[in-house]
Amino acid sequence: MKNLVSKFGQTAKLPALSFALAFSITGLLIAFSDSKVLAKIGSPIEFIKSGLATIGNAYLALFQGSIFDINLARGNSFFQGFYPLSETIVTATPLILTGLSVALAFRSGLFNIGAQGQFIFGAIGASYVGFHFNLPTVIHILFAALAGIVLAAIWGGIVGILKAKTGAHEVILTIMMNYIAGYFILWILKTKPFLRPGRIDPIAPEVGLSARLPLLAGENLRIHAGIFIALASALFVWWLLAKTTIGFKFRAVGANSQAARTAGISVPFVVTSTMAICGGLAGLGGAVHVMGSAHALNTDVAGSFGFDAITVALLGRAQPLGTVFAALLFGALRAGGRTMQSNTGTPLDIVLVTQALIVLFIAAPTFVRFIFRLKKLSSSASLTSKGWNG
Amino acid sequence: MKKSLKLIAAAASLTLITGVAVAPSAQAAKIKLCLALDTGGVDDHSFNQGAWTGAQESRVSNAEYLPASSSADFAPNIKTFVDKGCQLIVGVGFAISAEIVKSAKANPKISYAVVDDAGLDCDANWNCSPVSNVKGLTFKTDDAAFQAGYLAAGMSKTKKVATYGGMAFPTVTIFMDGFARGVAYWNQNKKKQVEVLGWDISNPDAGTFVGNFSDQNKALTISKGFEQQGADIIMPVAGNLGSAYAAASEKSKKSLTIWVDSDGFYNLTAGKDIVLTTVVKEIGASIKSVAADVAAKKFTNDSYVGTLKNKGVSIAPYHKLASKVRGKLKSEVLRIKNDIIKGNLDISTIK
Repeated sequence: MKNLVSKFGQTAKLPALSFALAFSITGLLIAFSDSKVLAKIGSPIEFIKSGLATIGNAYLALFQGSIFDINLARGNSFFQGFYPLSETIVTATPLILTGLSVALAFRSGLFNIGAQGQFIFGAIGASYVGFHFNLPTVIHILFAALAGIVLAAIWGGIVGILKAKTGAHEVILTIMMNYIAGYFILWILKTKPFLRPGRIDPIAPEVGLSARLPLLAGENLRIHAGIFIALASALFVWWLLAKTTIGFKFRAVGANSQAARTAGISVPFVVTSTMAICGGLAGLGGAVHVMGSAHALNTDVAGSFGFDAITVALLGRAQPLGTVFAALLFGALRAGGRTMQSNTGTPLDIVLVTQALIVLFIAAPTFVRFIFRLKKLSSSASLTSKGWNG
Repeated sequence: MKKSLKLIAAAASLTLITGVAVAPSAQAAKIKLCLALDTGGVDDHSFNQGAWTGAQESRVSNAEYLPASSSADFAPNIKTFVDKGCQLIVGVGFAISAEIVKSAKANPKISYAVVDDAGLDCDANWNCSPVSNVKGLTFKTDDAAFQAGYLAAGMSKTKKVATYGGMAFPTVTIFMDGFARGVAYWNQNKKKQVEVLGWDISNPDAGTFVGNFSDQNKALTISKGFEQQGADIIMPVAGNLGSAYAAASEKSKKSLTIWVDSDGFYNLTAGKDIVLTTVVKEIGASIKSVAADVAAKKFTNDSYVGTLKNKGVSIAPYHKLASKVRGKLKSEVLRIKNDIIKGNLDISTIK
């Protein structure tokens, strides 16, 4: 047990330090971009005082916008104060799933840039089943989710097959497949079955009420049952990797594909099945997003869920639990950034800077080690550089 | 690529935006005007920017905005404004309309407006009804584009002009429609055969579109393609996408451009010398007008329609190219405007 705790501490050290460093730098940016603070640059004490106040206010707003807002709780119900937390989780839910998709690929030595395209196909599948059929509620949800998973698993699996059969690199393949998916959704939204009656702009009908994930905390909060699906998927990925033979094969190929081949593991099989499962996970993300909060398919339904997933998986050290925490953090930054801009005028884009800094430091462990004078960080830093040789 | 661009933009605009957003003074009489923007950012050189500029100019309100990185942000952005006690919430762009209507029905005491949409409440079968606290802000853009089309036909030496859009949204194709009809009106009056590339009113499916509002390179390729086919005046209806083309064409001198939304002469950093005119859509004016209504407690849900008459739409001055436009053509373009305002000319009859 002690061993486990210290192991977790070791794994979490680098992300935690990167996190602290990123927030310090963001704080400086916030202070130095505020004209009221800059006006006081003449007197150092006043300058530092107002600078700290600005940073404090911005981070307070970030908290208010992502966890709990006392002003909302003062109204008719205390519960409303958790509206920000609900928003954090709503944003994090698809990110957990796409993050898992990228993380699982990392563990097999693959770099899945294609979560965006897989997400799109998941969303298309779930949306079509959601608005086209009329089924009893639980069956409808299962059917829609399954449609999303299968479509996206095929989409991801194609990459796996191409890589296994021809040796084409999965990074290039998935990037190109993202383009195809992006243009595919543009096209399909203009076709008859996907056009909303009466509209000529590319937006699909909303999914039926029976295909919507149940809300967990009433009509006023958007939090929906998708978070349980996401957590269950994280558990599934952990189980797959830690407890099954196939998961062992995934990890073996991820650690050293040549050794794995010599040991009798079929690398093409591992590559194909990994990519199919990764596709399915990202596709489930798209399905959950459509059934949970978006309800209708439009051209930018995927937002940046698939691209942020790479960052999330990196931050989560390609571990299922880590990915869940990383996705929640990103969800919180997204939700809180809104309140930060609205309350303090600090631009929403600053959270993108924070996200980028966190990843930058994680990708450069030597730098973090240097800053904090650490001797050695147990790291799986090699996981980022595996892509081109796998 | 996109992300890194955003980062640079974020860093660069930090000082600017912060300075602006915290500036408004606290005056009790002013209303709280909140803009929920569409994707593309506040500095899109297009409708988001136009809306925000107008909102800041409004003397009766303290304005603020929230940007959207995707359509998933629309609902929470509006909710944030509701919780903050905004008195007027404006959704910028038709894409946000459905979320505005949902929020309006839940908060009947707040006034709402939607740019580029009627703001109606529609069910799954497209039976629509007005909502008492939502005002649509729409524009008869095709009337102004008609003037621009006539002007372009009159200016073209190669007898070929072109237009293309970002995506085939009605708010985009209305520009192209008006432009093509304007060219047709020139042909009809002068017995000429000026050709429009990229848009055919009778066959809208064959229109030329970039497919998004972010791919500058593709827009540039399309523009150059039209130049090679002989077009010497091009109107890109694609927000800021035309700027790469305008900059390139300023150097190559192969074509003139007609800009859209807000005067390109003031908005473009490179390429302003070849901006023949701009089909201006005064989103800012519409927002100022509805803000004034709310401040004076005269808000109704009757749509605001920007026309040539109320200067909601117009064509911009010719600026540096003024000397190149013949006096006769200038007065004809002006006469078209007066004819449309007086109702003597119905552009929908011209094909």
